Amino acid sequence: MINPDLLALLTTLKMAALTTIILLLISTPIAWYLAKMQNRFKVIIEAIVALPLVLPPTVLGFYLLIAFSPQYFPGQLWQQATGQQLAFSFSAIVIGSVLYSMPFVVQPLQKAFEQLGEPLLEAGAMLGAGTIDRFCNIVFPITKASFITAASLGFAHTVGEFGVILMIGGNIPGETRVLSIALFDHVEAFDYAKAHILSISLLAGSMVLLASIYLLNSPRKKAIKRADK
Amino acid sequence: MTSSNLERALSLSINIQLSFEQLGFEKFNLNIKQDLSLQGITGIFGHSGSGKSTLLRAIAGLEKEIDGTILLNDTRLIDSKDKCFLKAEQRNIGLVFQDSRLFPHLTVLDNLKFAAKRCQNRRLNFNEIIKLTELENLLPKHVNELSGGQKQRVALTRAILAEPKLLLLDEPLSALDRQAKTRLLKLMLNIQNKLQLPMLYVSHSLDELQQVCDKLLVLSQGVVVGYDGIHSMIHQLNYTQLNNAQTNNLIHQQTSLSLPIKTLNNGHGLSILTLNEHDEIYLPALHEKTTAKTLRCFILANDISISLTEPINSSIVNHLFAKISTISTINNQVLVTALCEKVDEEQAFFINISAFSQQKLALKINQAIYLQFKASAVRTYLY
Repeated sequence: MINPDLLALLTTLKMAALTTIILLLISTPIAWYLAKMQNRFKVIIEAIVALPLVLPPTVLGFYLLIAFSPQYFPGQLWQQATGQQLAFSFSAIVIGSVLYSMPFVVQPLQKAFEQLGEPLLEAGAMLGAGTIDRFCNIVFPITKASFITAASLGFAHTVGEFGVILMIGGNIPGETRVLSIALFDHVEAFDYAKAHILSISLLAGSMVLLASIYLLNSPRKKAIKRADK
Repeated sequence: MTSSNLERALSLSINIQLSFEQLGFEKFNLNIKQDLSLQGITGIFGHSGSGKSTLLRAIAGLEKEIDGTILLNDTRLIDSKDKCFLKAEQRNIGLVFQDSRLFPHLTVLDNLKFAAKRCQNRRLNFNEIIKLTELENLLPKHVNELSGGQKQRVALTRAILAEPKLLLLDEPLSALDRQAKTRLLKLMLNIQNKLQLPMLYVSHSLDELQQVCDKLLVLSQGVVVGYDGIHSMIHQLNYTQLNNAQTNNLIHQQTSLSLPIKTLNNGHGLSILTLNEHDEIYLPALHEKTTAKTLRCFILANDISISLTEPINSSIVNHLFAKISTISTINNQVLVTALCEKVDEEQAFFINISAFSQQKLALKINQAIYLQFKASAVRTYLY
């Protein structure tokens, strides 16, 4: 029988990794259109994307819980398509995390795309590069650092998520019991020794992750790299 | 480097209207209807705000809100009636921007390869082009290490390596110093000679355009003022701006001419050009390595004076016998046109004098006069 805390760690990593991949896939086009958009709908979409930054996670979790229940359309659709209930499943916490962490991925990408602007893309077009070609060979390489930042922030924020998961995932070992929930359980059971171990490892892990992003994106490193050439 | 299929002139037929409002500026309307036969280098001249860059961007496919049509040979680039818009990347037109727009994440070599890789049916030899544009030593460099002139040279080479059927140049020299400018202009001429690639060259500097263009399209406030061979277009501008408020102060009135070089240095620091059997024009000695057979130069109308007798006792070296063909007076300024004999035709010279001098000399049409101007009044940009 696997250690329940280790199982929680595996669940967490699986959830965070999947969430990050999905977020990168859907946030890139959203950030791109937001960066290019000039009409008034832009503000509304920006506000919707940014909502999880200010909203208590329990509010988001509450509405998701209702939406995911079999009585309502999204939950119903999911049940018809997969034969399983959506609420209190691993899929539910992944969907919840995607919504909850989206601003952390969309915002750095949007800023990078805005900064890049049109000039280099126009130059690319004049050399015969089509839209996808321009994205892969001009936009992505130049904004790579922002993609790394966005992915890391999205990942880290998902690992640290609690309220949303508690509302829509519950506490099913191997399915929805993630580290932050496990930690809460230990504290509630007055098992402070185990709580310490989980806390310190989360703290250290987050610290290492953030430090490596900043190191990767620091101007000093780039300067050194250029001098090497 | 075959050029047989490019030697025919490209026909570019433009009939477009577009208007846009920029914050803080008046509404700007561009209304252009013009057929161009593109061979060699065609200049587009106008002051800032005349619409020349916008026209170029419309031809390139970077301006999308356009009413009207643009046809390149038989290909429709834009036809707003049919909602037809050929994307920039499908037009096979190259564009060199004012701010080189090299890709900062690539080296010089990779910037050039970016273009070559995307070129369908390549005919140019990559290494020959690099040699022609003298970029061999810059290839491994990062683009941030280049000077302004080097950046534009790379941008020009990159545009050529995409092998467009038409190359657009949007003020490519405006951010450069004089030395870098002349180098790039010579390179453009050299490329044009070797590759027969038609170019449309936008600039607000008539001096630059006069040196390299075969034809000139002039725009003012969003409409076409004129389109003709380079020298005759400049000469037409001398008149049109006299009577037209819209084109007022467009250029300094001047005589624009191409003449065969007779001597590079006469031993006294002067070069000599041949005007006709008897007359020569002296100017400050050209660079001794100049290989050109003819020279393009211009003389400002303010730099020429008129004498009724031959000014033999003067330090001014150039005096030409001429006959007055027109006299136009506007606001105390008199523009005199005088014709000199030239090898196969007549050469018009433009002279500005004051109304006071005109009153004194009482010049009349068909009167024989002598034009005089110093060697240093004969200006050229390239050599």
